[in-house]
Amino acid sequence: MPHSYQAMNCEEVEERNILEGYLLDRLTEPEREEFEKHYFECGTCFSQLQTGLALQTELRRQPAMPARARGASLLRAWVWAPTFATIIILFSAGIWWNSAHNRPPSQQVSSPPKVSPNVPVQVQSTPAAPSLEELARVEPPPYSGVVLRGTEDEAHETFHTAMRFYEKGDYTKAIPGVRAAAKANPQSASFNFYLGACYLLAGQTDPAIVSFRQTVSLGDPAYSESAHFYLAKAYLQKKEVARAKDELQKTVQFRGSLESGAAEILRQLPK
Amino acid sequence: MSLPSATNAGELRNLAVRIRQGDASAETELVHEFSHRVFVMGVVRTHDREAARELVQDVLMAVIGALRKGQLQDADKLAAFVHGTARNLINNQLRSASQRPPMEPLPEDLAQACRAEQLEDAERMRLVHQAMEGFGQEDRKILLMTLVEGHKPGEIAAALGLTSEVVRTRKTRAVKKVADLIRKKMSRT
Repeated sequence: MPHSYQAMNCEEVEERNILEGYLLDRLTEPEREEFEKHYFECGTCFSQLQTGLALQTELRRQPAMPARARGASLLRAWVWAPTFATIIILFSAGIWWNSAHNRPPSQQVSSPPKVSPNVPVQVQSTPAAPSLEELARVEPPPYSGVVLRGTEDEAHETFHTAMRFYEKGDYTKAIPGVRAAAKANPQSASFNFYLGACYLLAGQTDPAIVSFRQTVSLGDPAYSESAHFYLAKAYLQKKEVARAKDELQKTVQFRGSLESGAAEILRQLPK
Repeated sequence: MSLPSATNAGELRNLAVRIRQGDASAETELVHEFSHRVFVMGVVRTHDREAARELVQDVLMAVIGALRKGQLQDADKLAAFVHGTARNLINNQLRSASQRPPMEPLPEDLAQACRAEQLEDAERMRLVHQAMEGFGQEDRKILLMTLVEGHKPGEIAAALGLTSEVVRTRKTRAVKKVADLIRKKMSRT
């Protein structure tokens, strides 16, 4: 369908991915013309364009890094491998020699330890792995209730009013308002995400999963990583470990602020 | 150093009027306002940063000359006038690069303003380089495949074994990191 090139605005630039198209020389002449006219007057879009152009220039300048970097790290690993192997062998031999020579004769063969009835036995064990309940524990996702004056529609007003309960830790009371906002504006990733958070923190796991799934489906980069992480938490609460692992692995892929937390839970989950 | 200004229409109209009245400081303001934009437009259209630098001088000299002579009928359309002049000169250059007649150089004070803009561009490039050093290989690959190779998130996701949403998120986050660094360092005027 032919597009009207009357006057481009910032929303259109974002929705139609105009900036990348411009940098990649993929716009039609009228589109290019309109975008140029727009950024000659728009400081915000021009600033983003400058960043994009600088990034593109820098990326073009850089050599093909991945193969070289991988090769370099492999090379480093091979260079040090004999040293590490020697250290490990010497260390293991030392432990074996030490234990073999310090052990009393009676214990050199495998036999149950002699226990004095008056001395309490100190059983040395590795720290217990956290339980599923512990791994499923949820910290409320941070929420900043900053509102720009004059930008509120009715759904946002309802949402921000409800989120005051969230800020006070009263998640059950926050649910009706956040739910109403999400119903009025189902395309809002933030409404759906915080609705999921409210449900989860109020112990309503199934509706929490529905809301987080809806957040994921909206594909908003600001909420995708968190939605996967809290979905994992919801599945852990339901003891659905395989699904939780799947969501945690997806969280790790974002390489964001929740990566290490998700990786740690993955490590501690039963294989 | 400053970020691109969002000078409002009234200020631009005044700028045009002041230049016509012979106000030299208004000419310097015009250079600050538009040299970055003309430069970016030149780089994107010619793929040649050096040629784009020369174009900035040519375009601004042509615009200032026209404004001094009162050739801009509607002072409200200064931005469109600069853009139109830039487009015409770039197109001329692309058509006949070798036969381009030498343009009158900018007066020294305006040329100096242009050089300040060039220093700003160099600083921006340095900051982008610095920001990118903190990126992992996969994030660099996502940026490269998006901004240089022109792949869509779905294609990048398939190539890297990720999902489209992961690609979109990581790209957005990486660009934001760079933009935040530039804003932080360069807004200290």
